[in-house]
Amino acid sequence: MSRRTIAIGLKIPDNEAYTALTALRRLGVEVARLERAVIWQFEDAGDERDFVARVERNETLFNQNKHELQVLEAGEPRSGETWIEELGAHDNVRGHLGGKGIAGITRARRFVAWRLFATHGEPAGAATVNDAVTKLLCNPAIERARIG
Amino acid sequence: MSARLAVLVFPGTNSEEETLRLARDVGIDAHIVHWSRAQTLGAYDAYVLPGGFAHEDRIRAGAVAAHDAMMDAVIDGAQRGKLVLGICNGAQIALEAGLVPGTGPVRKPTAAFTRNGPVPKFVCKHVYVKLAIEPKRCAITAGLPQDALIPAWAAHGEGRLAASDEHLREITAGGHLAFVYAHADGTVDASATPNGSAMGCAGLVNAAGNVLAIMPHPERDAWNFNHLDRREDGDVLAPSGGAALFRSFAEALR
Repeated sequence: MSRRTIAIGLKIPDNEAYTALTALRRLGVEVARLERAVIWQFEDAGDERDFVARVERNETLFNQNKHELQVLEAGEPRSGETWIEELGAHDNVRGHLGGKGIAGITRARRFVAWRLFATHGEPAGAATVNDAVTKLLCNPAIERARIG
Repeated sequence: MSARLAVLVFPGTNSEEETLRLARDVGIDAHIVHWSRAQTLGAYDAYVLPGGFAHEDRIRAGAVAAHDAMMDAVIDGAQRGKLVLGICNGAQIALEAGLVPGTGPVRKPTAAFTRNGPVPKFVCKHVYVKLAIEPKRCAITAGLPQDALIPAWAAHGEGRLAASDEHLREITAGGHLAFVYAHADGTVDASATPNGSAMGCAGLVNAAGNVLAIMPHPERDAWNFNHLDRREDGDVLAPSGGAALFRSFAEALR
C-alpha cells in the first residue's frame, strides 16, 4: 500500500480563485496571484505505473477538458501554500466520488489547496498565507489549515 | 414613518422576490437592495439576507458574502440593534460574519452551517421547525406563540450546524438555539432533522436577540399553493404557516 498525492487544478480560468484573490485584496492581504487546486491523498494498492491513468478514468474527479493533474512528490503544502481540510471528513473513496471508486485505491483524503504568490512571482511568505487563512480561507469551526 | 426593510441581493442570491413579496404581504415596507447600492443600506431599519448562492458559494457557503461591502452595513446595523433575518444562504452568511451565534468576534466564525450529513447530499424537503426559545428571547419571534411550529422548505446542501464541542456548549448555554427541526405534530427527535445538524438545529439567534438565522425557507411555505398538505379545494393564495414568522417580524418593526 502506498500513499500517493495529486493536485487537480483547472487549465481553464479559475473563477473561484479569482474571487478569492479579489476578496483577499479587499481584506488587505498582499497577494499578486492565487492558484487553487484540489489535493487528493490516496492509499493505493495498485501499480504506480498506471496510477495516473486509473485516476483520470474517474470522471467525477477528472475532466480532461478542463482539469490538469499533477503528482506531488511531497505530501505537504509547498511554500506559499495552504491546504484546507474539513474537520471530521471521512476517507471513504466512494463517498467522496459519488459512489464511483478507483481501482486499487482504498482510502482518500481531500484538501483544497490555495497557493499565494507575491509581486515578483515568488511564493508568498508564511505570514501572508497565515493572514489569508485567518481572514478568509479557513473557518476554524469546521476546517483545519496546513501551511507550507 | 414605518420601518423600512432591505432585502439584500448579492451576486447569486435567488430568493429575493418571494422574500420581498411575503414581507410586503404582512405589511412591511420592504425593498430590494442590490450589491451595487451597498452605500444606501444604512438608511434601512432592518435587513433580510435571503437564500441562494451568494458569490456562487465560492471558498465556502457565505464566506465571500460575509466580507462583502453590504455586510459592513448589516454588521454595523446589527451592532446598533437593528433586526437582521438570514434565511438559508443568508443564515450561512450570518454565521460566517460571526453575527450568530455571536459568541466570537465579528467575522471570526465559531460555527457554520456546513455540508449535510451523514450523507453529503443536497436536501429538498418539506420540514417543520419548532421554536426552541422563549418567543421574546428574539425580537423577530416575539409575536409567535410558545413552541410555535413553522412549516418551511429545506433546500440546501450545507445546512448542518457544526462547531467544536466548546462552541456547541456555548450555543446551548447562551440560549442561541432558536429553532429545531420537528415533526408535523410538534414532536422532536433525530429523525425530524434532514441534514445531521447538531442538536437538530434549524436556526440560531444572537445574544442580543436581534439577529436570527434560519436554514429552511419559511417564505416558500407562505401561501397555500406552496404548502405540501394544501387542500386542493381551498384558496391557494391564502396565507400558509410560513407567513407566521414574517408576521411576527412585522410586529417587531412597528
